[in-house]
Amino acid sequence: MSETRDRLLARLEAEARQLRRNIWRALRAGGGGHAGGSSSAADILTVLYFHRMRIRPAEPEWPERDRFVLSKGHANAALGAVLAQAGFIDDAILDRFYGFESPFGMHPDIKVAGVEMCTGALGHGLAVAMGMALGARIQKQDFHTFVMLGDAELHEGSNWEAAMAAAHFGLANLTAIVDFNKIGQSGRLDELIGVEPLADKWRAFGWAVREIDGHDLGEVVDALATPLDPQRPTALIAHTVKGKGVSFAEDTYVWHSNSVNDEVYARALGELGEPERSKP
Amino acid sequence: MSAATPVQDDWRARAANQTRLAFGQALLEIGARESRSVVVSVDTQDLLGIRPWIERFRDRFVELGIAEQNAIGVASGLATTGLRPYVCAYAPFITARSMEQVRNDVAYANQRVVIGAAASGISLGVAGGTHHALEDLALMRSFPNMTVIVPADVTEAYRATLATLEIDGPVYLRLGGRVEEPPVGDPGAPFRLGRAVQLRAGDDLAVIACGALVEPALRAADALKQEGIGVRVLNMHTIKPLDRDAILKAAAETRGIVTAEEHRLAGGLGGAVAELLALERPTRMRMIGMPDEFACVGPTLPLRARYGMSAEAIAAACRELLA
Repeated sequence: MSETRDRLLARLEAEARQLRRNIWRALRAGGGGHAGGSSSAADILTVLYFHRMRIRPAEPEWPERDRFVLSKGHANAALGAVLAQAGFIDDAILDRFYGFESPFGMHPDIKVAGVEMCTGALGHGLAVAMGMALGARIQKQDFHTFVMLGDAELHEGSNWEAAMAAAHFGLANLTAIVDFNKIGQSGRLDELIGVEPLADKWRAFGWAVREIDGHDLGEVVDALATPLDPQRPTALIAHTVKGKGVSFAEDTYVWHSNSVNDEVYARALGELGEPERSKP
Repeated sequence: MSAATPVQDDWRARAANQTRLAFGQALLEIGARESRSVVVSVDTQDLLGIRPWIERFRDRFVELGIAEQNAIGVASGLATTGLRPYVCAYAPFITARSMEQVRNDVAYANQRVVIGAAASGISLGVAGGTHHALEDLALMRSFPNMTVIVPADVTEAYRATLATLEIDGPVYLRLGGRVEEPPVGDPGAPFRLGRAVQLRAGDDLAVIACGALVEPALRAADALKQEGIGVRVLNMHTIKPLDRDAILKAAAETRGIVTAEEHRLAGGLGGAVAELLALERPTRMRMIGMPDEFACVGPTLPLRARYGMSAEAIAAACRELLA
């Protein structure tokens, strides 16, 4: 019997809390890092890895797996944490964030199990994900490709080359999720280069678009359930809060990337709360 | 891989002494032999002669329009799914415009992507400096994992393209433009990756050339032979991995080395040879190539002569070394 919706959401909420704890754990191990964008992405990653994606953590190269590309690669603390939590990589790797010769650096490395591409130089992931979606079509495979983009990342013009082409090919097996936390490295997007009207831009490029609350697990579950349109790629504009979950890190460019010492870590974990024990 | 199919024997005529077209012809054989091969175009269907591919392998063809950054990213994504993409592009744009995609998505991620880069060097002479590719070898050979090949004629281009089937990593294949590249070697010779081809024997000097300057190097060697100077000519079709043995042997057995390439003097074949010799066996050298400037507008052959990329200039450099 399938999981009831209440139980699903409760399970995802517990995973999301644990994910945020793991993100801050990694940040402390590294002495700091991209807390803001990792935290804004955490709920979406939770739904992808613990509910939506067809994956086999013990078999990371499984050809039929769904793909996830973290185009906003600076949120690698979140990707590493979710891969560890899902069982792709050893949990102890989280304590080696930024470590010498660590597989877990500031940005994703394809050599790590579960990581699909070396990203972090911005404006690359959508094209690569589109290549994966095209590869599935050419080889008549039914896996789905998800790619997460930063909002400030959309300043890179290469995204729009890929957006135009993915719509041209009608790649319904491709879903782009924009982590729209409204803040870049130097300040608010509307004070840097504004990206609004963002949903209209994607619509104009030929994508099926839905705006969601990227922290409402139920909304994320529903939006990711199926492609929005059988003939077009899906763009989910996920409204999020940079640094979500830890009050002093929320909604400020200061926490795009910042130092994390033991004291900051303790305060963050205090706000995130204890992980829930598994219930009977 | 599917069973071998008959090799078309008319490819040579269709290639019309242009390496870019030989690449397109070789792709047809690859398409028949390797069911995972895919051709990616950036509005370059005629430039590399891939319309026959589109007719025969329509479901393995991806047209992306004039979007080089996207094309390299997409090719990398395709490669991750097990496909073998061949990107057909203009050398000046696919190396400079999308260099970060080549570096990160292809070289760093070590994906099996082959870039067929036509219109290299000053083959698009009249198009001007925006369309000249005189730094592509410097860029491409600086990336770890990358194999860099510069065929000198259509036979070599055809065979080198087929050889990419066996290369487990990214490849940059530098091709010419709409300028004839006369045959320089034995049309029956196999292509051996990373192994220079000695086209003339000689122990006074060695000329190490690649691509379009192999043929002028042969003419220079033949002229010098009339003067009693024995010039060894090595066709260094693989810039990376470099044939260290052939270079060190030439340095040991001759009195000096001249390199010749249709590329800026910084960082290309000459640079690669000089880096090796400076460390392993310091040798007197001269380097033939584009000086540190942008070329003027003009037809390719006069441009080559203007900037010292000719048989005469190669011969003069040889005489200088012996003086």
